[in-house]
Amino acid sequence: MNTSKIALALAASLYGLCAFAQGGPTDPQIAGIVVTANSIDVQAGKLAKSRTKNKEVAKFAQQMITDHTAVNKQAGALAKKLHLKPADSDTSKSLKAGAADNMKNLKGLKGAAFDKAYVDHEVAYHQAVLDAIDKVLIPNAQNAELKDLIVKVRPAIAAHLDHAKMVQADLAKK
Amino acid sequence: MLRGALVAICLALLPAAALAAGKTHAVRIEGMKFVPERLEVAAGDTVIWTNRDLVPHTVTASGARVESGVLAPNRSFRFVAKKKGEMPYICRLHPVMKGVVVVK
Repeated sequence: MNTSKIALALAASLYGLCAFAQGGPTDPQIAGIVVTANSIDVQAGKLAKSRTKNKEVAKFAQQMITDHTAVNKQAGALAKKLHLKPADSDTSKSLKAGAADNMKNLKGLKGAAFDKAYVDHEVAYHQAVLDAIDKVLIPNAQNAELKDLIVKVRPAIAAHLDHAKMVQADLAKK
Repeated sequence: MLRGALVAICLALLPAAALAAGKTHAVRIEGMKFVPERLEVAAGDTVIWTNRDLVPHTVTASGARVESGVLAPNRSFRFVAKKKGEMPYICRLHPVMKGVVVVK
């Protein structure tokens, strides 16, 4: 599967959140989606950091590891405080499946091809997560503190998207 | 007489001591931004940055050799403005985040 196909499948899985439209995900499911989405990007970042030779890609990957780990720490603490057990949903499952495809694809690549595939995926991923935050997670979160956490995460995701696009444009020049 | 003179000296020194301590200004780090992004202070004033974000940040002004180190959520960094002029700074972890302290 090539990168654009993966990105498309990923977008579809996150847009698939709209399948919840009538019922909407529950708070435990939202917590599960938040934790899964963060963990996935930490894993991809770790692979990228170990594989890339590009300084900017390495810096971006480190930022993903640092930030998404920090967000998950806070999300975990809040879930514990609220006695909210993160639950699986079709969305968290399809996110995991998409991540497995992405990792498999990335593991087969090296050098510039790896950098491009990783960064392209990060752009698509953060865009999809941002859309999910706006259209599904914030509107459906019932608990005020859970909603507040997602509202507070949003600027970080938006900044990551800008940063990923910057690196993408840089790679395209080479 | 001597006591009176001491009191007079202390009273004379008090305003000077208060001035030297200066004012304290707070900058919040929130939503991947420094708030306010531009802060005007007087020489001798103290600036305290507090990270109210979910992710770690830094206050880094390489020109002025100011480096907070990594600030975890809810951690603060204190800095006393001494040199007059503009001190632009960034978050080393998120270089898109920029701020400036203007020391007058």
